[in-house]
Amino acid sequence: MDKSRTSYPVSRTLYFVHRIIPGLLFLLLPLITLPIQRFPKPEFESAYTQPQTFIPTPRAEFLAYLDVFVLLISLGVVTWLVLKKRSRLWVFFMSLFSLAYFGFYREGCVCSIGSIQNVSLALFDHSFILPLSVLAFFLLPLIFTLFFGRTFCASVCPFGAIQDLVAFKPQPLGSRLNTVLGIIPYLYLGLAVLFAATGTDFIICRYDPFVGIFRFNASFGMFLFTGILLLSGVFIARPYCRFLCPYGVLLNWTSRFSLRHLSITPAECIQCRLCESSCPYDAIDYPVTDKSPESRPVMVRKMMILTLLVPFLVLIFGYAGSRMQDTLAGVDARVKLAKEVMALSRIQDAGYGMQDESFEIKAYKASGKTESQVYSEASAVLKKFYFGGWLFGGFTGLVIALLIAGRMLPVYRKDYVTNKGRCFSCARCTDYCPIKS
Amino acid sequence: MKQKIFIIAGLVLLVIVIVIMVRDLFSSKKEDQKNPYDYKLNELKKTAGKQIAYNEALSFRTGLEEIHAIACGAGDRIFVGGSKGVEIFEKDGKPAGKFGFEGFASSLAMDKKGDFFIGMQDHVEVYSPEGKLLKKWNGISPESFLTSIAVSDSFVFVADYGKRAVYRYDHEGRLINRIGEKDPEKKVPGFIVPSPYFDLAIRYNHELWVANTGRHSMEQFSYDGTMNSAWGEASMAIDGFCGCCNPSHFAFLHDGSFVTSEKGIERVKIYSPKGEFKCIVAPPSAFTEGTRGLDLAVDSRDRIIVLDPERKQVRIFVKK
Amino acid sequence: MPGRREFLNTLMRGGILAALGLLSGAVIFRSRDEKSCSYGFDCSGCSRSKSCMLPAALEARQMVWQLDMTKCIQCGRCATNCVMSPSAVKCTHAFAMCGYCDLCGGYFKPGTKTLTTAAENQLCPTNALKRKFIEDPFFEYTIDEELCIGCGKCVKGCGAFGNGSLQLQVRHDRCKNCNECSIARSCPAQAFTRVPANKPSLLRGLGPELPKETAKKNQANG
Repeated sequence: MDKSRTSYPVSRTLYFVHRIIPGLLFLLLPLITLPIQRFPKPEFESAYTQPQTFIPTPRAEFLAYLDVFVLLISLGVVTWLVLKKRSRLWVFFMSLFSLAYFGFYREGCVCSIGSIQNVSLALFDHSFILPLSVLAFFLLPLIFTLFFGRTFCASVCPFGAIQDLVAFKPQPLGSRLNTVLGIIPYLYLGLAVLFAATGTDFIICRYDPFVGIFRFNASFGMFLFTGILLLSGVFIARPYCRFLCPYGVLLNWTSRFSLRHLSITPAECIQCRLCESSCPYDAIDYPVTDKSPESRPVMVRKMMILTLLVPFLVLIFGYAGSRMQDTLAGVDARVKLAKEVMALSRIQDAGYGMQDESFEIKAYKASGKTESQVYSEASAVLKKFYFGGWLFGGFTGLVIALLIAGRMLPVYRKDYVTNKGRCFSCARCTDYCPIKS
Repeated sequence: MKQKIFIIAGLVLLVIVIVIMVRDLFSSKKEDQKNPYDYKLNELKKTAGKQIAYNEALSFRTGLEEIHAIACGAGDRIFVGGSKGVEIFEKDGKPAGKFGFEGFASSLAMDKKGDFFIGMQDHVEVYSPEGKLLKKWNGISPESFLTSIAVSDSFVFVADYGKRAVYRYDHEGRLINRIGEKDPEKKVPGFIVPSPYFDLAIRYNHELWVANTGRHSMEQFSYDGTMNSAWGEASMAIDGFCGCCNPSHFAFLHDGSFVTSEKGIERVKIYSPKGEFKCIVAPPSAFTEGTRGLDLAVDSRDRIIVLDPERKQVRIFVKK
Repeated sequence: MPGRREFLNTLMRGGILAALGLLSGAVIFRSRDEKSCSYGFDCSGCSRSKSCMLPAALEARQMVWQLDMTKCIQCGRCATNCVMSPSAVKCTHAFAMCGYCDLCGGYFKPGTKTLTTAAENQLCPTNALKRKFIEDPFFEYTIDEELCIGCGKCVKGCGAFGNGSLQLQVRHDRCKNCNECSIARSCPAQAFTRVPANKPSLLRGLGPELPKETAKKNQANG
């Protein structure tokens, strides 16, 4: 074997150290540091100079604001395409752009969906800094939706775009199934906020199904997870957006009060029923005209039931949530550690010898924390989860009560209209409407 | 019919996704505890029990925030130096007083009168047995870090990790000469001290020994700086000095045997006056992993006193 | 009827806008805290007064992930749990702390008898740590980042026997800066923290930063 090659390899890193770093020194000035006196360097007699440790700089900060700018422009363009141009084709092209920029170029981080957690954590933990760009990612889609409907979902969000590409055989699910499955995003939102606010975990990011695709880099398990979801998306169009997305809940509710919204027809509906099956997301409400208005006593009884039902469900679910305190807090690393430490001290008290210690226990021992410190940290977390459990449960109860109310109260609709809450403003239905102006 | 199958297929897949998420989130299974890249030192830390010739007889805690130096004086009193002060203990571990100062005692020794010579990182301070500051010697250099100090009848020897040099002073603090700097004529290879442990001691009241840790050797110098002899071998095995730079500390028994301590593989051992491995005082299992700075002292009855900065203890070992 | 509906919608819209405004205001206002100062506690070198009231969020600092070596126990999860493969965590060498030892605890397998660069002597599973003779008895160690997988084996070896100049760090030219770092979640020592992007390193042993004045002077000279 060529010994000189194994002994003195000129690696790419070395090349970098010798050739490129001097050029970068100017940029890195704030990072250049002085050796501390406890470690004086050896007294070299040869002309050897100690290399500088190269510290790569993160992505330039102004690029984060470029992202915000691109988001703003995209939202504007899509809104214009949806409301004015009413062109599915252009909306589709725009979604390809978003997929390329926010998906493959920006690799899915940070996204508006995940920003819910950053905002929640920043609200409860003020040592956590929320960069303004993240706040903008949280606010901009909501504000646009408040005025123009969910054009963000139409083709700015890369998650929606990628799912739209695989929706080959979308099936109508029927209103009952839609309502029941529609509860899941509320639960997801509640849990995400709860875990983020307690500083436990960012579960939206943890179970982000598409980030692996955007990065072409994920574990097999993650790809499998993505694959199953996408496969389900072949038959159920946009399953993540409809039945998981927590940001969708916020957009749903803001969209209901939007100033303007995509309409199927630009003029008067002629009841031609051509759009009836055009929506892959079951977001078109059919006319309800044949129901005779309910009698007054029936209405009064229904209202009374509802006024009782709402607080009842809120309380019941809130109580159930508070009882789930341990399960919920069990996700938290601090609580997990406390459990392990407790188990360890029990084993030691019983006089058994050392077992194979977990890394968590090793790290705890190395940290110099006392047992009681670990316990008090954990009990503080548990307390947060007690209140959090009440709020989460209460929120769930309220959602369910409102859904029941929505189904109990009579509706009257003359025409085929988009459901302002659920509609993604994808503009498919406009292509089916025979009226063009 | 076909439509129904599609719906059911889609729903089943969706439910699988949700179940995966919920199970993963609330599962109580622990993170993977296998480290495919584990650094295994345990094999090397195993020692043959019959080589251990000492027992731990006594240990007691010190009250100082950080401890760095230990010495043993008249009446087998034990002196511990560290941040902001020196603590004094009787030979059975009972506190016998303390005195404080600003700064950090990085090394500590006493002369026959009981005056303290304390290395304060970059200079030496002399204190009376009652803890009164008698004299403050001039600072050596801002890079200096005085890791060891030894006092003979007429001289004070100081080991400076920062400058990698040994200085000979008289008792008044006048520098006489420097010892151990690289000098091919005197056959002095020079000190290599990669980490801040650099010890020296005096044997039979006239032989100056310095631990040249980077070369894993114990070197004996005349007072004029000539190197007379050296021994030591780099090895992870029990008879050598392990790691990059050891022994971190050493002391002498009354028969001239070396007591050495190491970091990396934490162990205290005894070598014969000629440098042959004799026995183990304390095996690695006696210390918390990662302990470093096991300063040593020996009292009049040849009890070996070990300073354990990790557990903030003074630990005394006696022959079985 | 439509008129009342319109009015209600407008009212709700106003309400939602106000709520969003309040929320962002609260988030920004709450960041007005010394601890979240992007200069990190150290008020020296900061042009603002000590009783600084400017909300940190308005400083618009981006945050990036970094690994605090004082907590790290080298469990190996940095190599296995990053969303990237190979991991964005790499061994980084703080040369200023290195002893240039011949018998390097980070380079050689424990128990190695002959100190040569033979592959069977090397601790690094990917041979990413390179050894180069400088002069007797000093050797320089550098890291080939392309090969390094961030397992921390050498870090542990260096820390056990040497000064700990080999350290694990998140390399921000590779890190995707996930909103939540997947290594951080599984780190048993909770050693991962968010740090301001203008101070992305937590490398130990490089000493304090140059005072701003000196940096400026150097900049002018260089």
